[in-house]
Amino acid sequence: MYSIATIDYIIIAIYLMGMIGVGVWFAKKHTDFDDFFLAGRSLTTPLLITTLISTYYGIDVLFGDSQLGFTDGVVAWFGYARPTYAFFLIAAFFLAQRLKEEDFKSLPDILDKYYGKKTRYVGAITSFIYSLPALSLYGFGMLGDVILGWEPIMGMLVLGGIALVYTLTGGFWAVVLTDSIQFLFMCVVLALAVPFAMNFIGGFDKMIDILEPSYFDTMGDLSIWLIIIYASTGLAILVEPTFYQRIFAAKSYKNVRNALIIGIFIWGSYDWIITIIAMAAKTGVLQGILPTDVAPDAALLTVMVAALPAGALGLFMAGVLSTEMSTLDSYCLVAGGNVAYDIYRPAIKPDATDEELIKKTRYGILLSWILGLAMAVSFDQMLGLWVFMASILISSVMVPILLGLFIPRFRKALAGFLSAGLGLASTVILNIYIMMTGTFDVMEETYIIQWFGIDFLQEFIMYITVPISLLGFFIGLILDKGDRS
Amino acid sequence: MSGWELFTWITVFILGFGAIVVFVLFIKDITQILKKFQKEKK
Repeated sequence: MYSIATIDYIIIAIYLMGMIGVGVWFAKKHTDFDDFFLAGRSLTTPLLITTLISTYYGIDVLFGDSQLGFTDGVVAWFGYARPTYAFFLIAAFFLAQRLKEEDFKSLPDILDKYYGKKTRYVGAITSFIYSLPALSLYGFGMLGDVILGWEPIMGMLVLGGIALVYTLTGGFWAVVLTDSIQFLFMCVVLALAVPFAMNFIGGFDKMIDILEPSYFDTMGDLSIWLIIIYASTGLAILVEPTFYQRIFAAKSYKNVRNALIIGIFIWGSYDWIITIIAMAAKTGVLQGILPTDVAPDAALLTVMVAALPAGALGLFMAGVLSTEMSTLDSYCLVAGGNVAYDIYRPAIKPDATDEELIKKTRYGILLSWILGLAMAVSFDQMLGLWVFMASILISSVMVPILLGLFIPRFRKALAGFLSAGLGLASTVILNIYIMMTGTFDVMEETYIIQWFGIDFLQEFIMYITVPISLLGFFIGLILDKGDRS
Repeated sequence: MSGWELFTWITVFILGFGAIVVFVLFIKDITQILKKFQKEKK
């Protein structure tokens, strides 16, 4: 635990109480399910920017980017962060427009319309699994430990519990409003941290003098294959349930497009500053003003605690908590919607009223939170778990959704079902196989198995399962004689 | 001042100033939306 002043604790406490206040304020203000789940489809460009940016950037980005910046330098931005912006541009100019043309409420809605109920349920299950907040709750455990000196389980229960309360009570309106406050905290505090970090290490020129030249090599020693693998992680944006929810909740396509274009500049700046502060931490270690045993993923917090004055540090810590809360609330809400709107209503009660749907969505939010908590306390390797959850979503729904959206004659029930079903089954089997028979590599922080003389990383699974999903799609297309277009 | 440093200060400006501008616009929009929201409720 770091040494933190009383004023910093007061700032953190005010911030946490404010978040609960927003949820309570919105508690009984919803008129219908659209209002609770999609904020009445009235999100304008500024609202979309704040909620998109704060949702996507959790502490995995905060500490993941900074870890790579600390160990490898600017390649963290050029090789890892930058390629994802290309996918945001694709989403801005192609995907969002197509999604706004039809009256969808959720990602499984698309699968239902193009391929029928069975594919809807596969999509709903994968979206629910992907949205479980295990990683966020694990992050709260870590933050509670580092910032407040709590046991990890206490951090998960208290900090994660606050995000749960305002999401349960306030729905998407509370998520959007808290996201905006969290957005301001995250961005402004990080921007203000740069001069303090530079002053701490003696200026930017000092950093250039002390760090090895390789820290300023834009592509470092990454191979083209590794760059392609890093870049392909951005594929998730094309089928991200929280991203889709924000598109459906937007007032118009133009609002989404403008939000994404402006957002890319803010995302890019955020990533760059994290990289530079992590490099400042490395400089501090080499100068001897920071401990030599700083863990790479703790570099950002360490240099900030050393560089920021009392008060500013409390704001920074609140900013770090904001980063994770804005992620947890959004995913819990989507998971709740999967339970109520995508499974309960079509499978059990097609004539469910809006009031019932809101109630069931709240149950779903609670269920996802409890399952996420169980996973966060049971799994040791959270990165492996995250890869598992992300690969399930991408491998099962990316092919049927993108082909269905853009090629109307491909909308055949069997094609969608085989694609989603085979993608899901192959991902589950391969992940379990690698996690059970492979070895966990501490350096790579992933499971590795030897196949045909090469090291096969768990992250590579999608390069097998996405083609399986594609193959299933075309087999279904050939076998299905019906036409849904 | 090196190119790296200049780029860093530009990103600081975009992130800090950009976030404040977006937040001000957010407040403007959310105020109107909530007013409309309250009217519909009545």
